[in-house]
Amino acid sequence: MQRTGLLLAACVAGFALMGPALADNKPMPDNAREYIIWPADGQVISGGKFWIRMGLSNAGIAPAGIEKQYTGHHHLIIDTDLPPLDDVIPNDKNHLHFGLGQTEARIELPPGRHTLQLLFGDDGHVPHKPPLYSAKITIIVPPSTGSAQ
Amino acid sequence: MNKRHLVAFAAMLAVSGVLTATNVRAQGSSNAKPDAATAKPEAEAASKRTPAPHDAYVYIGWPNDGEVVRTTHIKVWFGARNIGVAPAGTDKPNTGHHHLLIDVPLPPLDEPIPNDKNHLHFGLGQTETFIDLPPGTHTLQLLMADGDHIPHDPALMSKKITIHVVGGEKPPKVASQ
Repeated sequence: MQRTGLLLAACVAGFALMGPALADNKPMPDNAREYIIWPADGQVISGGKFWIRMGLSNAGIAPAGIEKQYTGHHHLIIDTDLPPLDDVIPNDKNHLHFGLGQTEARIELPPGRHTLQLLFGDDGHVPHKPPLYSAKITIIVPPSTGSAQ
Repeated sequence: MNKRHLVAFAAMLAVSGVLTATNVRAQGSSNAKPDAATAKPEAEAASKRTPAPHDAYVYIGWPNDGEVVRTTHIKVWFGARNIGVAPAGTDKPNTGHHHLLIDVPLPPLDEPIPNDKNHLHFGLGQTETFIDLPPGTHTLQLLMADGDHIPHDPALMSKKITIHVVGGEKPPKVASQ
């Protein structure tokens, strides 16, 4: 019975450890900001190919895996909502990671309306506290008319 | 006996829960997309300077060349394409950090960039800044450098731009976008 109790305690401790591990957001200065420099909200982009320019104020860029206070790297969220802010940012075609520390990226989107939003993540791709994310903007790619550039 | 098994099983579950949680984080970082700028380092032996991707370049996104700036507190944003930004001290291929040269020519490209009021280092990996300049004509130029502040090979520098600072006015109240 005593052993059982010990095992139970270990079990509880295990779960207790798991919680903070996921919610352990790294700090960011209160005046840090992330924003999309270009394109502008409502921008019409014929052809759908463009360079997005990612802006960051009062913080620094570091590649994924590099741990340094008040740094992180950009993630671009396309056509979807913000993911949970206490967990690793997904890595798929709607969540692009710029783990080399890029501040610009070439994007290609099909005709239609698309939303773009930046979310800053730490060395392990987890958002900071407070989380840094840009306004969610909409861009419009007109239907291709055959005379695409 | 049964009960003990159950508890042991629960403990195992808990432990594996912790393991998967850490795995997810580790996976996340190894999945990091290297993206475009993964050009091979060439001519590595020829120089001690860190190679830069051949298509990388840096530029001053703001202000424009010839801009008349109506404040002495000036925002400068740094553009970098096909290369990543990393804090000083980081040894990672195809990355570097920005240095802003104010009213000076380029320093020697094979040694660390000086660190003074004419050579500002952005070793946290910043991609923009505010500088204070007295009224008059000034030049600005960006020079990227590796983790040890030595320019890459080829050196990544912006065009040297000239701005005209018109002083005396209070900085306009512009939201930082």
